[in-house]
Formats: sequence, structure tokens, C-alpha cells
Amino acid sequence: MKRIRSSIIDGVGFDLVLVGIPLVFLLLFSGLPLVYNVLMSFQEVDLFSLGEVFRPFVGLKNYRALFAQPEFWPIMWNTVIFVFCSIGGQFIVGFGLAVFFNTGFRGSTFIRGLFLVSWVMPGLVVGATWNWILAGDFGVLNYLLSSIGVISENIFWRSDINYSLWAVIITNIWLGTAFNMILLSVGLAGIPKDLYEAASLDGATAFQKFWTITVPMMRSTTGAVISLGLIFTLQQFDLFAAITGGGPANSSNVAQYWAWELSFRQYDFARGATISTIMIAVVMVASVFYVRSTRHEVRG
Amino acid sequence: MKYMIGASVAALLSMGSIAHAEDVTITIWSLDDENQPAMNLAQEFSDMDNGITVDYRMIQFDDVVTESMRAFATGQAPDIIAVDNPEHALFAARGAFLDVTDMVAASDEIVAENYFSGPLNSVTWDERLYGVPKATNTIALYYNVDMFKAAGLDPDAPPATWDDLVAAARTLNDPDNSVYGIAFSAKASEEGTFQFLPWAQMSGGGYDHINTEGAVHALDTWKTLLDEGLASPDTLTRGQWDSTGTFNSGNAAMVISGPWELNRMVDEAQFEWRVALLPVPEEGAPRASAMGDFNWAIFANTDHPQEAFQALEYFASQDDRLFPEFGQLPARSDIELPPTGVAPKDAALQVFLEQLQYAQARGPHPEWPKISKAIQDAIQLALTGQMTSVDALNQAQASIDAILAE
Repeated sequence: MKRIRSSIIDGVGFDLVLVGIPLVFLLLFSGLPLVYNVLMSFQEVDLFSLGEVFRPFVGLKNYRALFAQPEFWPIMWNTVIFVFCSIGGQFIVGFGLAVFFNTGFRGSTFIRGLFLVSWVMPGLVVGATWNWILAGDFGVLNYLLSSIGVISENIFWRSDINYSLWAVIITNIWLGTAFNMILLSVGLAGIPKDLYEAASLDGATAFQKFWTITVPMMRSTTGAVISLGLIFTLQQFDLFAAITGGGPANSSNVAQYWAWELSFRQYDFARGATISTIMIAVVMVASVFYVRSTRHEVRG
Repeated sequence: MKYMIGASVAALLSMGSIAHAEDVTITIWSLDDENQPAMNLAQEFSDMDNGITVDYRMIQFDDVVTESMRAFATGQAPDIIAVDNPEHALFAARGAFLDVTDMVAASDEIVAENYFSGPLNSVTWDERLYGVPKATNTIALYYNVDMFKAAGLDPDAPPATWDDLVAAARTLNDPDNSVYGIAFSAKASEEGTFQFLPWAQMSGGGYDHINTEGAVHALDTWKTLLDEGLASPDTLTRGQWDSTGTFNSGNAAMVISGPWELNRMVDEAQFEWRVALLPVPEEGAPRASAMGDFNWAIFANTDHPQEAFQALEYFASQDDRLFPEFGQLPARSDIELPPTGVAPKDAALQVFLEQLQYAQARGPHPEWPKISKAIQDAIQLALTGQMTSVDALNQAQASIDAILAE
């Protein structure tokens, strides 16, 4: 008894307690819902059995039914395009802005702070605002594009099946760029200045400095930003609800919105949970890659 | 605890009169706020000296079904709920709602024959009544009289058939001045089904036979309106409220929408407008229209069925106040709507009242949301040109057959 006590106060036991508290917390509030979700995907669920845990087990029936739906592969493909292009756009624009503000001109920190306003706004508000910008008949974007001669006919961003997904991607890039920029700015600020000074003495050009110092030194930050980006884009729901509603004809529908539609519009909770389970699997694979790619790095 | 709060609230409200120690508390869930009927009527009923106290909870439109199902599954359902009419059968068919057929038969306040057939059908399952219509609405054709005159059309003879409608839209369409011939909603939501189903019904179809020749013709007509640019491409993603907004601002010459637009139109529209019955496929064809709004129902596991029904009786007895005080249409044919004094609104109301006689319930079917989704998918696939109307509706029919066979 005494040994256990002293171990908890000062010893291995103390470490175990420190690890144990967050572990229990995680299992309780993240683990259980995840397990419950996976369980639901193997069950027959209807509105009247919502309050139960043990429902009829149906094996892979929900998965087979889901794969058999004609919209399954188009929606999965949309999800890939949405995630890839959103993260790419947010990262490139965010990185550009971070480098720009890192030059430290007068008022740069103030303006950089202002950029965060877009990140602070709720998704539904951003969606409603962009709805007006993207509107087909009277939208500002169409007006802008036609007055500089890029387009001759109005583009119906939200209602044309060729553009609807891009309408949401553009909005999402706008929404997430500021967050990327702030994280990347922190990374840039952490690169020791003497590296650049040494490179200058050796006669390196600005491009060489960027490519051989900035980019490699930003590796771990980049990894973090991109994996966070993956999480945020896979969670992005408000913009779809506010701008296209996944339409027209599912042309802008993605996995996360579809899961909601199935669960809360058609009350097919089992299929909704099935999509969520597939998404969990994808994110777990992605996080393994992320952990593997960053674990050899020494930070500091 | 709940009972104590109920009793003390009742005591406060009756201001000095002795609170009945034996007061029964019934719970009512509805989406109505303080400007809408349910909240006010529930309060009045609670204030009456009848030994019943009402605990009213406002719920959001999107949460009605999931919230109440969760509550029902865990035995915490309210006594009374207001539910959107196409979702009524979902509860009724599974025995979640109380069968009130016998109570209605014995009631003086609620007389089944007084209700329009559409709303009454929506509370009916297996020839039994599982609720009482709360209010109703439908859709008809609004048109801009000034534009009709300017285009040389006779405003006293609005389009009566689908061909007339397309022809009128072509005449009225004026892209140079940003005016579309017509506005409506083909959104991939319940609104799209709400707007399309009447077209299918007028031409001999229905939710259970959606791939009829007439329904294909209807969808082709919609496609013509979009393909020729007679309606905005945003029709595909815009709801009825926003579509009507373009009519009010003079950017569409006609719009298909419901009586909920009347007050806003009186305020916003800077032109003369009127309402006509929905055009039919050809002269002499049967009429149909959509039927919207909520129903009252009592949950089957209530402890106070008599008291809950008493509340519904009180609500029904106040149906004549729905329109003058709250701007909603009672679901009954025996109530005269008093004139409002606003001429275009009063004229429009008469049209809507006539249209209501042809309004048909969506379903009723316990799997309505899935049936509706199949119809929405067909509309969107056809209108975006990814499938022909025939193929799209055949696909919808196959999905619906599978749902009906389950």
C-alpha cells in the first residue's frame, strides 16, 4: 500500500496517472462515440430503436447497400477533389501570405491579424455571404469576371453541375487561408535568422534561400498544417448546407454532407453511420502517414 | 418537480385565484414562436380554469422528427406535438401517435367532415385518424399584371394549361432587362417534391406511380422552362421563398408559390399582381395542388389522453382566429375568412381557398422522406441534363417500388 502510494506521488505510478487521465477522458468522450458509430453501421437502425444500443445485427448489409447506390462513387470522388483542392489552395495562398507578411513591413502584424476575421466567422455566415457573391444573375463575382472580360455569359456557380463543387471549394479556400497563414507564420518566425545571413554571405539568391532553407525548415509545420487541413475540410459541413445543399443532382455532394442527409433527412441512421465509419478509416490511414512522416524530426 | 413548477406557474398566471392542487400538466412541442398560433393558444388553454396546465416547448423545424423520436424511444415524449404533414405517417404507422378516431367522433369541436380532404388525409393512416390538421397551405400561380399588359397578354386570362404557361413565359421573358418568364423551385429538398408532385398528380400520376406519361410531360415542361432560359438556372438550388423574392423585385414575371408570401408581397411588390389556379396539362384535366403545413398529434404513451385531446379541441375551436391574427389558413372549409381590406390579398385568398380543395397530401407513407428523395433525384438528374425525363422518372419509380415493397 505504502509502495503504491509513494509510486503515485513520485515514480512510475505518477507517470501512469498523468497518461491515464487524458486516456480515460479520450476513451470516454471520443472513443465511445466512435465505437458506437462503428457499431451502428453493422446494425439495422430506425427511428424507433434510436434509444437502444443492441439492435439487430445485419453484418455488411449497410455497406453493400451503400456501395450499390449510384451516387456513391461520384460523391466519394467529389470528396477527394474537395479535400485535395481545398487543402492545396489554402496552403499555397496561406504560405504566400505568410512569406509576404514575414518581410516585416510597417503594419504587417496588424494586417496579418485582420486576416483572422475570415476564420472567426461562422461557416453559415460565410456561406450566406458567398451565396450572394456567387449568385448567378446578380452576383458580384460574375460582374467582376465579365467586366474584365474573362467570361461573356453569367456562370451559375451554385446551379451548374460543372461549377457547383468549385463554388464550395473557392469559399472554403477563402475561409481556411487565414488559419493556414497564421500557423505558417509561426513556423517562419521559428527559423533562425543566422541561416539566412550565412546563405547571403555565400551569395545565395532569394529563391535559393527559400528553396534550401525555408522549405526544409518548414517541414514539420507543413505536416501539421496539412493534417489539420485534412481534418477541417473533412469536417466542413456548413458551407455545403449554406451554398449548394450538395446539389444540383449531387454534383457538389461530399461524404460528410451525405452522411448528414441520410441520417437526418431520410432518417437512415445506419447508412449515415456507415459513411462516417468509412471516413474514420480514411482519416486513420492519413494520420498514420502523418505520424510516420514526422516522427524522425527533432523539433526545437 | 415538473409538476411543482407547473403548479407554481399556474398559480402565478391565475393571479390570486386558487391553484388547483390536482392540476394536470401536459407538454406541447411545436415550432411556433410568440407571433404564431400554437404558443399563444397553448398559453390561453393553460390559463383557463380547467385543471390543466401546459408546459410549452418551442423546437426548431429541423429537429422536430429526430428530437421527438429520441424522446419517444426513451419514454420522454411530450403529450402533444405539431408535426409536418408528410412526416405524420412515419409516426402514425408505427403506433407512436394516439388513435383519436373515436374521440373525434364524440367531439363537438372537431368534426372530420369540416376539414379539407388533403389535410385530413395526411392525419389518416389505415382509415383511422391519428391527429388533427393544425393549419394548411398550398401553391398557385402569382403573376405580374403590369408585365402581362406590357407584353400584350390579357391579365384577366392567366395561363390555364401547361402550354399556355410556357407560351406566356416565352412572351414575358426579357433577358435584356433581367426578367425571367417564371420562377419556381426545383431544389433537391422537400420543396422540390412539394412543387413537382402536383404536376404529376394533375396528369394522372402520383407518388406511387411517378413515371407516367403525364409526369414525363410535366418534367419535360420544367426542362423546357430551364433550357430556354425562361427560368433562372438557380431554380435548381433556390427554395420557394428566394424564388418569390425575384418575382417581388420584378425579375420574374410569374412565380409558383403559396399564401405564406402574401404579406411580404403586399409590402415589397411595386406592381399590380394577382393569383391564378395552377395550370393543368390540358383543358378539362383534373386539378391538383400541393398541401403544406403542420398537424397536431397526441403521442400514444401519454398519461393524459383526455386532457391532451381537450387541448386539441380548444385549438380547433379557435381556428377562425388563425387567419385574422396569425395569417395562416385553417384546414377547414366551414370557416369564412374575413376580408383584410387589402384588395389584392383578399382576391388572392379566394384563389388559394379554391386551390385548397384540390390540394393533395404527400403520401401518406411512413417512408415518405425516402420516396421524396427519389423524386428530387429524378427532377435534378433530368433538369441538369444527365438523364432524360423518362429515364430519370423510371429510376425514381424503381426506387419507390423497392421502398413500397419493403
